[in-house]
Amino acid sequence: MTLELRPERSSPSRLVLHLQGRLDANTYLEFDGTAQPLLADLPRGATVVLDLSGLDYISSAGLRSVARVRKATRALGGHTLLLDPQPQVRKVFDIVKAVPVSEVFTGTAELDAYLDRIQRQVADAAGEDE
Amino acid sequence: MRGLRSIASRLTLWSLLGSALVITATGLLLLGHLRQTWLRSAHREGGTLAFAAAHGIEAHLARAAEATRLLARLARTRSDLTEQLAFDTLRANTDIAGVLFAWTPDDPTHPPIAPFVDRQRNGSLTRRDLGRDDSRYWEQPWFLTGLSCPDGCWQRPFFSQSRQQRLINYSVAIRSAGRSIGIVNADVTLAWLQSVLGSLKRPDGAVMFVVDGNGHFLAHDGTDRLGVAAPPQLLQALATAGDTPGELQAGIDTSVTGRAWLYRAPVAGTGWTLGLLVPQSLLESSLRRLFLRELALGLLAMLGIALITLIVTRRTLAPLATLTDRAEHVARGELDFTLPRARRHDEIGRLTHAFDRMRRQLARHLEQLTRATREQERLRSELEIAHQIQVALLPSEHYLDARCAMLELHATLRPARAVGGDLYSYFMLDQQHFCLMVGDVSDKGIPAALFMARAITLAKALAPRARQPAQLLHQLNRELCQGNDSCMFITLLCGVLDTSDGRLVLASAGHEPPVLYRNGQAELFQVDTGPAIGLDEEATYVEQELRLCAADTLLMYTDGVTEASAVDGSMFGIERTLASLERAPPLSRSGEFTSRLMADVDAFAADCDQADDITILALSWHHRPQGESGMLDLTIESTVEGVFAALERCESALEEAGVAAGTREDVRLVLEELMVNMVQHGHRGSADGAIRLRVRTADGAVLAELHDDGAPFDPLQAAAPTLSGDIADPEEVGGLGIHLVRAMASELAYHHDRDGNHLQLRFITTDLTEPPT
Repeated sequence: MTLELRPERSSPSRLVLHLQGRLDANTYLEFDGTAQPLLADLPRGATVVLDLSGLDYISSAGLRSVARVRKATRALGGHTLLLDPQPQVRKVFDIVKAVPVSEVFTGTAELDAYLDRIQRQVADAAGEDE
Repeated sequence: MRGLRSIASRLTLWSLLGSALVITATGLLLLGHLRQTWLRSAHREGGTLAFAAAHGIEAHLARAAEATRLLARLARTRSDLTEQLAFDTLRANTDIAGVLFAWTPDDPTHPPIAPFVDRQRNGSLTRRDLGRDDSRYWEQPWFLTGLSCPDGCWQRPFFSQSRQQRLINYSVAIRSAGRSIGIVNADVTLAWLQSVLGSLKRPDGAVMFVVDGNGHFLAHDGTDRLGVAAPPQLLQALATAGDTPGELQAGIDTSVTGRAWLYRAPVAGTGWTLGLLVPQSLLESSLRRLFLRELALGLLAMLGIALITLIVTRRTLAPLATLTDRAEHVARGELDFTLPRARRHDEIGRLTHAFDRMRRQLARHLEQLTRATREQERLRSELEIAHQIQVALLPSEHYLDARCAMLELHATLRPARAVGGDLYSYFMLDQQHFCLMVGDVSDKGIPAALFMARAITLAKALAPRARQPAQLLHQLNRELCQGNDSCMFITLLCGVLDTSDGRLVLASAGHEPPVLYRNGQAELFQVDTGPAIGLDEEATYVEQELRLCAADTLLMYTDGVTEASAVDGSMFGIERTLASLERAPPLSRSGEFTSRLMADVDAFAADCDQADDITILALSWHHRPQGESGMLDLTIESTVEGVFAALERCESALEEAGVAAGTREDVRLVLEELMVNMVQHGHRGSADGAIRLRVRTADGAVLAELHDDGAPFDPLQAAAPTLSGDIADPEEVGGLGIHLVRAMASELAYHHDRDGNHLQLRFITTDLTEPPT
């Protein structure tokens, strides 16, 4: 089983990457090859959501790919959020303390609420600036 | 005073009894002797008394006789004055009761005057002419008898009717011209004789008497017998007595009671005999008195002797009593006491000195003994500690390879003394190689134990570097040869077992060959042996390989087994050893071999002391055949593709083996991290390397081994990554994979040798999957 990656642009400032299969030393190049061009197109403050509900397995090579995504969004002043990691994957993330707990979500509703809140903060900040 | 238990009392009692016995015996003897002497002297006295009495009577009679003879001579010439003579004589001589002058008549019809003057009872003298009596005196027998007595003789007594008393005459013939012309008669009364007798001295109770020639009593203390004839037995006794006293039976003479002794003496000039009767009881009563007095004196003396003996003995033996008391002290172990001062150098003095010496020697011995016992106790406790230390040098008696359960080992060591020179040891050289050895130091006891300690410690220290048994023996030999002036040596059998395939490499330094038990057969496995360790510094050793099959057991032992001796001197030997092992039921565990062999050796040498240390080590090999429990053994090229192909096969193998998904993914993650690491770092992307992966399941665990010939890399030593909580923080993320490996494998072991890196992993399988968060 290999990796399937399905990008989704629900809005200009949000990229959702649906991962399925395994993200390991064998597939991380494929992931990087698909993800990096998409990341390069993102505007400032964009949010990337990694939907891990279909990801069965991740190894350290996969973790490094995730790290690269996070670095890219951070450079844009945006966020990388993880959605619904499977227990095995969640275990790996926990072991290496890969991401802050506040950025891991178990369901889309929770994620949407968080994103709305961010959106408002951004809007408020823009209003104050003006 | 301890009554009869005291020697002093017993001595006194016995000496008292003894002297009483002696005194009684001598007393009885003395009594007999005394009685004889007493009797003799009494007899002598009696005889003397009798003679004295006879003489007394004679003296009185002699006066009367003298006067009468004088009258006879006077009458020869002065016949006319006879009457006057008679008066004068009677007046002068009161002993005489009457005097008669009688003449033989020339003419019987005209007898001449025969004047007779006698004394009346009132003392007056009367005169009478006997010639005028009708009695014709010249025809009377007394006259005729008198005529024939020119020198005088005593007539028979007679009773005078006129004077009413018993008289006795002394007649002397008046001689003229050669013939008797008449007689002079002087009368004395028997009463007078009686009074003479009465005046004589005699013992109280004795009876004196006088008998005349015809056996009539003339005088007797009992006056009623005067004139009476004496009893014939008395006369007979008088006649036969001679000089010796006669013994008179009781009842012969009624004036004495009981038996009596008769003493006699003749009254000279009369034909009379004086007798003295002394009753036996009189003699014996005085003898008895004497004897009783002597006896009383003797008893008194004896009492005195007993008293003196008692005092002297008690005084003499007094130190003995003290010594006895002190001896009881000694018996109780109390040696501190004072002894009586020995005043003299006699037996008791010597005993006291000897006792004192004994007490001091005993105290010294006791002190020495206590010291020796304490010393011995200290040595014993040191030996006990040494024993514990030596036991601590030995690994556990039972070893079961916990990870893969491929080998099981039982060992037992029993020293002949508290500590011994036998040794066994085993340890993992690395994750794959198991080293074991059995050895026997020459000699026994403490030197051997120290040498053994040195050898076992050195062996363990050298083994990880040496790795090969021959190399280990070589290095050990070099080390132990140094400074081995006492020339002690050790025989050693050393083996290194590859736990992955049961290859056992053996090397021997002069040790007994091991026994291989396979399929119910036990036989010696001959190993080419080098010299014993510690003798030749240049010694070299060769190795031999033995491939163990499943259910094989290898037995290593020391000569304490084969050389165990029975009472008859025979040895247990290798034949019995092999036979003991072959009796083991199939599929026995290693512990059964050691305990069975030890029991057989004990039964064989039941009544003998164990002469040598005994060590038995049994190694059982339980290697499972391939394919069992989802066994996987792959060798891949050092490429990422190869790695993932292997991971896929591993995954499916584990799935087939029923391993839970969670564990499978853990295994996969760890193996991926490790193998990718080997490919990318160990081989730097080169594909000509080889990685070997072996996986199997056992007892709730997944066991995996990785062997790789790339650059050495110990994942256990890699530095831990800095985990900030966000993997995006660090510039370059590294070490995450190794961190994951360490976190996920239950157990991880690494070693590196000339073949490369070797990793052994263990995962505890769990069916629990974490609930989704």
